[in-house]
Amino acid sequence: MSRFIIRRLIWTIPVILFISIVTFLLVHAVPGGPFDTEKPRPAEIQANLMKHYGLDQPLWKQYTDYMGFTRNPSGDYAGILQWDFGPSITQRSRTVNEIFAAHLPVSATLGVAALLIAVGVGVPLGIIASLKQNSAWDYLSMALAIVGVSVPSIVIGPILILVFALTLGWLPVAGWGSFKHILMPSLALGLSSSAIIARLTRASMLQVIREDYIRTARAKGLSEKVVIVRHALKNAFIPVATVLGPMFAALVTGTFVIEQIFAIPGLGKYFISSITNRDYSVVMGTTLLYALFLVASNLFVDVTYAFLDPRIQFE
Amino acid sequence: MLRKKSLFAVLAVLMALAIVLSGCAKGGATGPEINMNLNTEPPTADPSLATDTTSVQVDELLFLGLTDFDDQTLDVIPELATEWSVSADGLEWTFKMRDDAFWVRYNPENGKVEKLDKVTAHDVAYGVKRTIDPNTASDYAYVDYIIKNAYAVNTGESTDLDSVGVEAVDDFTVKFTLEQPAGYFPGIAGMWINRPQPREAIETFGEKWTEPGNIVTNGSYVMTEWAHESHMTMIKNPHHFDAKDVQIAKINWAMVVEESTAFAMYENGELDVANAPLADIDRIKADATLSSELYIAPDLCTYYYGFNNTKPPFDNKLVRQAFSAAIDRQKLIDTVLKGEQKVAKTFACPGIFGSPAEDPAFEGITFDPAKAKQLLADAGYPNGEGLPEITLMINTSEGHQKIAEFIQASWKENLGVEVQVANQEWAVYLKTVHEDSPQVYRMGWCADYPDENNWVAEVFHPIKGSNEPKWDPESDSAKRFMQLVEDAALSSDPEERARLYYEAEQILTVDEAVIAPIYYYTRVVLTKPYVNRTYAPLGGEHIDKWSVEGK
Amino acid sequence: MTKQESAARALASGRADAQGLNSENQQKVTNLWQDAIYRLTRNRAAVLGLILIVLLVLMSAFAHVVAPMHFTAGDAALNNAVPLWLTKVMPGHMETYTQISDIYPLGADYLGRDLLSRVIYGTRVSLPVGFVGALTALLIGLIYGSVSGYYGGKVDNIMMRIVDIMYAFPTMLLIILMMAFFKSSFSGAATPGTLAYEFNRINKVVDSLLGLQSGGMLFIFIGIGLTAWMGIARLARGQILSLKEKEFILASHMIGARDGRIIWRHILPNIIGPILVSVTLAIPGYISTEVFLSFIGLGVDPPAPSWGAMISDGAKALRSYPHQVLLPALFLAVTMFAFNFLGDGLRDALDPRMRGTK
Repeated sequence: MSRFIIRRLIWTIPVILFISIVTFLLVHAVPGGPFDTEKPRPAEIQANLMKHYGLDQPLWKQYTDYMGFTRNPSGDYAGILQWDFGPSITQRSRTVNEIFAAHLPVSATLGVAALLIAVGVGVPLGIIASLKQNSAWDYLSMALAIVGVSVPSIVIGPILILVFALTLGWLPVAGWGSFKHILMPSLALGLSSSAIIARLTRASMLQVIREDYIRTARAKGLSEKVVIVRHALKNAFIPVATVLGPMFAALVTGTFVIEQIFAIPGLGKYFISSITNRDYSVVMGTTLLYALFLVASNLFVDVTYAFLDPRIQFE
Repeated sequence: MLRKKSLFAVLAVLMALAIVLSGCAKGGATGPEINMNLNTEPPTADPSLATDTTSVQVDELLFLGLTDFDDQTLDVIPELATEWSVSADGLEWTFKMRDDAFWVRYNPENGKVEKLDKVTAHDVAYGVKRTIDPNTASDYAYVDYIIKNAYAVNTGESTDLDSVGVEAVDDFTVKFTLEQPAGYFPGIAGMWINRPQPREAIETFGEKWTEPGNIVTNGSYVMTEWAHESHMTMIKNPHHFDAKDVQIAKINWAMVVEESTAFAMYENGELDVANAPLADIDRIKADATLSSELYIAPDLCTYYYGFNNTKPPFDNKLVRQAFSAAIDRQKLIDTVLKGEQKVAKTFACPGIFGSPAEDPAFEGITFDPAKAKQLLADAGYPNGEGLPEITLMINTSEGHQKIAEFIQASWKENLGVEVQVANQEWAVYLKTVHEDSPQVYRMGWCADYPDENNWVAEVFHPIKGSNEPKWDPESDSAKRFMQLVEDAALSSDPEERARLYYEAEQILTVDEAVIAPIYYYTRVVLTKPYVNRTYAPLGGEHIDKWSVEGK
Repeated sequence: MTKQESAARALASGRADAQGLNSENQQKVTNLWQDAIYRLTRNRAAVLGLILIVLLVLMSAFAHVVAPMHFTAGDAALNNAVPLWLTKVMPGHMETYTQISDIYPLGADYLGRDLLSRVIYGTRVSLPVGFVGALTALLIGLIYGSVSGYYGGKVDNIMMRIVDIMYAFPTMLLIILMMAFFKSSFSGAATPGTLAYEFNRINKVVDSLLGLQSGGMLFIFIGIGLTAWMGIARLARGQILSLKEKEFILASHMIGARDGRIIWRHILPNIIGPILVSVTLAIPGYISTEVFLSFIGLGVDPPAPSWGAMISDGAKALRSYPHQVLLPALFLAVTMFAFNFLGDGLRDALDPRMRGTK
């Protein structure tokens, strides 16, 4: 097991390297730069700024500087090898590390809340649908699930605001800082994910309850409840756990639309704004952070397989 | 089950963390509070670096200038300066300063506002030089090019920062030496880029000097908290010389980007002031309560379409005039914009000194489909036949897109010309427009100080400006235009200046139709009835002059 | 070898067993397909989905006949106008602040253009986005996955590691970066001879083929297509890996069949089922990507009518004109429903384990 984990961790290195190279090339290929402003700056000022951020170096050098393989002569950052993601170019008073520190907890809180809703709603819906296959319950819960994926969060968000804040007056419209602020955005986020989970749960439950060991369990005279919860559900959860990995990574690193609509200071907007502002270090930072989260949560999911299904062993 | 419990634990910890991170530092001031929206995270609070309305709003409250503009009359009024005078040749401006303004710093440890040194003329000189210093890379340094040697130093021709024409004669007298006479200079002297700056804090904390706890300010409010992308808190500065007249004790700034969200917050009582979203204006106007809270204030900005004067068919002035005359501006305002904007016939908007915008004698190019058709035919393209493909480029934005769609339809209807609309995001768009402007492109301009020099000269001077329309500086019209705006800048006779600018505007918008002005902006704002407020057409809102009653 | 893969393989081999068994006898293969089609037609939801999709495709092809007006036609003076009946069924009191006009069956947008017509023409944006996304995913994914699975060993190892890496990319970020790149490099490019100009030209051809004045559809296609193939590649590879050891494939090898022929004649027919299911179920994702792109301003160019643009504009007007978002959102939801129903039905019909269940 530990050898497996170590191997996976080592594998992370080429993944991160490759992603960093591709992102770096892409973001530099997009025309326009971080210092293009309404009034064109005198060439000297432009040159000074470029120098300050090490953007006057050849591209490969900029990359190795950023990664921390080489040292930028003018920059004072160490490179991501030393967990220094460099300065933000457009928000001059902040570093990328500070941006992560300020906004990742917010996105993570929201993401975890949304994930709880997704699992809490999706799994029961899926189970009900699978146990009563082709009944009204099945159709109803699957219809609910499909509504969840079919209505974009761009629409769900404003509708929630209209209903819960403006009409009922139960919740604040937008902002961040209290428990009440979390409810609507996490609901809007969680609903679409819960739909995916519900459908997956249903499909894999349908498969599992036809397995021999379930038949055996029933034959042994175990109660239906025990059969479902102890035996079927545990195994049916494996494919669900597989999607939970990427879902976790995506939700925790922030989602632009929901953050925008509910004015949440999360990390999601940086994924977009850094690209439009050509804030190279932030683009790199957010991409790599996401990749790290994804790799880590996939590893976590793989490890949990062993707990869900004792038959599974790692080579 | 265990899994879920641990997730709950993680959630609880994260939530506590988030709340601690965002909820600490409650300022100690008591008194009325106001909830406002900054619309976005301010890119900076550094006066030298501010270029956008949000940053300028923050700086307006945190830093005092030598002068300020009266919200009503736009006259230059004293702030840190008590009086000023100009030498006979118009080159030396001397400002006497008051001696009771102090630097203050908010101490997050005990929540107190600490009183530091007095604000002196040295601080002014330091601030101005810091803006001009090329290492600061201020985007607005060009406004200071009127100051002696500022251009040379800022562009690196000279490295002698001390040669810049600003000096502290004594602790409370500051003297500016200019390159050439400029009657509008007192307005520039008070701009955010020229405000006194705290040298010690800047040198100690570097780029982090604007963070709460580090930042040293002298304005009517003190920043106590800046939760990036989330909110900012300011409390009244107890050591401000006018502190007794400042009514509102605390400003809670939200940073809500989405206009519809901000407006919902306003309706729900979470904000006291909000912009009216375009989609809701008709409903607001019809609603008894909301319409009474609505106010449409003029804004010193102009929306225009520029033509690339070298790209066919817009290398022909008749075509440019035709396209300008085929825009039904009033209908655009009535049906798409709905904010009581004014039809623009000049580049500079009303309220700008020297602008003929309100001169009835200045006709400008007005909507006239028959004439537009005729002009196009005269240019050799009857009914648009033979025209090359035309692209109208805008920067990505819902508002610009709606306007572009309207004008696209307008040109099709009135000229029979199909125009492609393309959009690029801001960073690329700026590069495109500067380097190789599209045939037709969208732009806007807002006043930095209320004088035509800031408009026709600084924006469209084909040599000194960035010359986005690629107006040939060798052409007779451009030569005449340059002559006019240069003469006007040098002149100190208001009537003569107005006359020169009149002709310059005539060349720019009518005779040559280098650009097609479209409308003068307004701000469509809602304010809760318990707020007594002013409207600042220039710079940031003067919340120190507002009050809240019976909230 | 990770668990994820072995689990997938276990699952796949179960399916392949059944299919492999059938493949031994050509007669039975047709039976399997007939059986699948039979079961699909018995699944009411799937049939409904299929009918809806056909209707949508027809609507898109004949938009100029079906729609009451052209999508650019309209009078700005009638902006946001609504027919009388709508004010009675919608919440709020639209009649107090907007014009009543029965010219438009379902109201007008902010420029006085017919909403219904724009939604109908909008199928020319959303459906191509869905189909082209699916087609690209299918082409690249199937070829990539087949090659990787069929050759196995080192080739497989390297090719799958590349997919793993691509998977770790934030997909949205990649699409946004590419869209930013395409839009800023190519749109409006006017210098003949350059690559940008050629791209721009092809894009215009695509737009006019779709009957849209403008749109930049090509760039959206590329952006979505390039990020959509990884899942299919994995799936195809897993299926082939378990199939290629089967007796009938070995037998083909023995009688000297070429690799290409084996893949084409023997392997593809056996794996196409699950892949078809997966592609069908992915289409709604591509369509909603367009909605997201519109929200962040990287969607189609005006005046091309896209559901994404209409939804993100409409959501902002939700308070005043709720119908402006409901109409495109409804069309979008119906389309998503249709593809989901069809995909689910296909899965049930093609999964041998589901045989005997009704």
